[in-house]
Amino acid sequence: MHVEQQQQIVNNAKKAEKKRRRCLAIIKSDCDVSPSDTPTVYLAILNVGLSNGLTEERLLEAAAQTGGSVSEVAMLAGKSYCFLVCSTLEDSKLVFTGMHNVATIGQLGAVAYLSYVQALPALAGKSKWNKPLPSGLIVLPDFVSEAEEETLLKSIADDCRSHEGTLKHRHVKHFGYEFLYGSNNVDPTRPLDQPVPPACDFLWPRVENFSSSWDWSKPDQLTVNEYEPGHGIPPHVDTHSAFLDPILSLSLQSDVVMDFRRGDSQVQVKLPRRSLLIMSGEARYDWTHGIKPKHIDVVPTPTGSLTTQVRSKRTSLTFRRLRRGNCNCSYPTLCDSQQSKVPQELSTTLADQAVSLEQQNVHEVYDKIANHFSETRHTPWPQVAQFLDGFDTASVVLDVGCGNGKYLGCNAHVLAIGCDRSQGLLAVGRQRGQHLFRCDCLNVPVRSSSIDGCISIAVIHHLASAERRLGALREMARVLRPGGRALVYVWAKEQRRNDKKSAYLRQNKAVNKERTTEQVQRQKQQQQMEKQPRDHVALPVHTNRTEFQQQDVLVPWKTKDEQRTTFLRYYHVFEEQELEKLVAQLPDVELKRSYYDQGNHCVIFERK
Amino acid sequence: MKLSTYNFLTSMAIKGVKVGFPLKLTISKKELVETEFNPTFVERLLPKLDWSAVYGAAQVAELAEDIPAVQPESIADNEELLQKLHHLLFEIDVLEGQLECPETGRIFPITDGIPNMLLNEDEV
Repeated sequence: MHVEQQQQIVNNAKKAEKKRRRCLAIIKSDCDVSPSDTPTVYLAILNVGLSNGLTEERLLEAAAQTGGSVSEVAMLAGKSYCFLVCSTLEDSKLVFTGMHNVATIGQLGAVAYLSYVQALPALAGKSKWNKPLPSGLIVLPDFVSEAEEETLLKSIADDCRSHEGTLKHRHVKHFGYEFLYGSNNVDPTRPLDQPVPPACDFLWPRVENFSSSWDWSKPDQLTVNEYEPGHGIPPHVDTHSAFLDPILSLSLQSDVVMDFRRGDSQVQVKLPRRSLLIMSGEARYDWTHGIKPKHIDVVPTPTGSLTTQVRSKRTSLTFRRLRRGNCNCSYPTLCDSQQSKVPQELSTTLADQAVSLEQQNVHEVYDKIANHFSETRHTPWPQVAQFLDGFDTASVVLDVGCGNGKYLGCNAHVLAIGCDRSQGLLAVGRQRGQHLFRCDCLNVPVRSSSIDGCISIAVIHHLASAERRLGALREMARVLRPGGRALVYVWAKEQRRNDKKSAYLRQNKAVNKERTTEQVQRQKQQQQMEKQPRDHVALPVHTNRTEFQQQDVLVPWKTKDEQRTTFLRYYHVFEEQELEKLVAQLPDVELKRSYYDQGNHCVIFERK
Repeated sequence: MKLSTYNFLTSMAIKGVKVGFPLKLTISKKELVETEFNPTFVERLLPKLDWSAVYGAAQVAELAEDIPAVQPESIADNEELLQKLHHLLFEIDVLEGQLECPETGRIFPITDGIPNMLLNEDEV
């Protein structure tokens, strides 16, 4: 061997050792895991992890090539390292020798560095396998035979009258009733021509042992999903008010791994081909279920180690029975029936505590978040700008609740004056040379009948009683001269129109890209909020960028600084026609127009 | 606060106050801000203003000689007066001072150019 080559090998080894030490130091400080000089069953992959593109599948495939058997994988979110647990010390040695400085699983084919460590980090949590199944979840393997599988698939395929559609990631067919993906519900008044195929009838005697405790004994709705490899379904619970308990799902043609989640708890369940999944009780109502869009699943072997399995095309038959009414389950977090119900006593409490609630959860919050809030409010909404453009030269326009004053400069030909309750926001507008004063929208210190135009954009939904919301409108009507017009925007409870999401919902990128669902976000939020002490009226906390579950809610505002403090703003989101009804109570006022604009209810009224 | 804004402010929301206008203005610190003069704009704005408050503001701003006590009938051709009105209404920026309710004497402070017209719950 040449001297240069020998030198090269020594250099490489030195380089690897240096890199290894640096990574171990990071792991030690990150998660307090120390290296071990003697072999253990715990291996750290020092330089590759989720943050630089490694998947559990890829790692397992590489480990399998060494001949060593792996019983657990711990991938940590956002980390450039990960861990393996081997079945025996011998397996561990095989994996170490076979992969360290050999396996090219790093970015751009970079080689992986390994080290024995003393334990798994506490952060890694427990394996998502070997966990007890969610309560109420049952998997019945070999529920149908291969011959029966074929018969079922044939009878579904033959049925051309069924209701077909293609979703973003999978092909669906409905029997009995169509499941409407916009509203995530069914219309019980519109049954489909084709009921659940009688070819499925042989299944029901087989679940008789279980079905004595169920709400139903025969389903009236069937959804058939065809998943190509790589397809998945975002985590969700089946809408509580749509279907009774339980939900059944028959897996055909391929195994798949289904993820069940409740808050931070996550359980993976293998659904073998020809098995029946029963989701009842807690598993049906309080755990979301979903399938990751992957080509390869990680699955446990009978001996307890993990391996990878390539997916084939899978067809699932989901059998359900319509509820035809409200759900009154004992799992309110994801229950659409219970979340939308406004407790009767709440509006009375709100009216009683309106002043202190608004002080604490509106005024104080806006003052604290003023600068950050102002940064996010720069572009005028087009229809508001259009309203302002409609005024003649030298008209006097008052913006009630002007915030940072973004509308005050819209029309340069009018005298635009703004007022707000928040000193912090007024200070921002003041720096831009705007005409401003500080007041409350319930007592506007402006001469009666002196103003040509009034706007109040996203303001009166911060008032905690109908009387106060009406009072703010009354003040706008009072300051308008006869013939003067006001435009009022309030946040709508309904954030979807004609099956189109509002701009607000469209900002929820994780949901829109189907990386998660509103339900999962809601459940996480719920868990977070339970940890925070709360001293005000027991109002539900809304999950940002999801649909509103109730009308009176606290909406979180997360600061951008390192503390990531969460402030809660009170909102009363308006139902359809609610704003119009308030305007109708104003004397000497005529409603000129009302419309829905990107998740807001809007009215234009004129002083007679 | 510009004196055009001042022209619209009242203290009528205070319990028992009937008119609350014009508010008594005191200027302790002001700044001159040059802005573009548009005679048509000033002329058209005048009918929306209360002349007594325009005149009152001129006195406090030490511009009483510029502004007549009674509103002239025709002003469109009087560009000199329009210019003076423009200066009074849009170029004088009150940074510190106060507004006082003519009926109750309640003081509304002007700080950093922003009048604070907020009332306490028990005042309304």
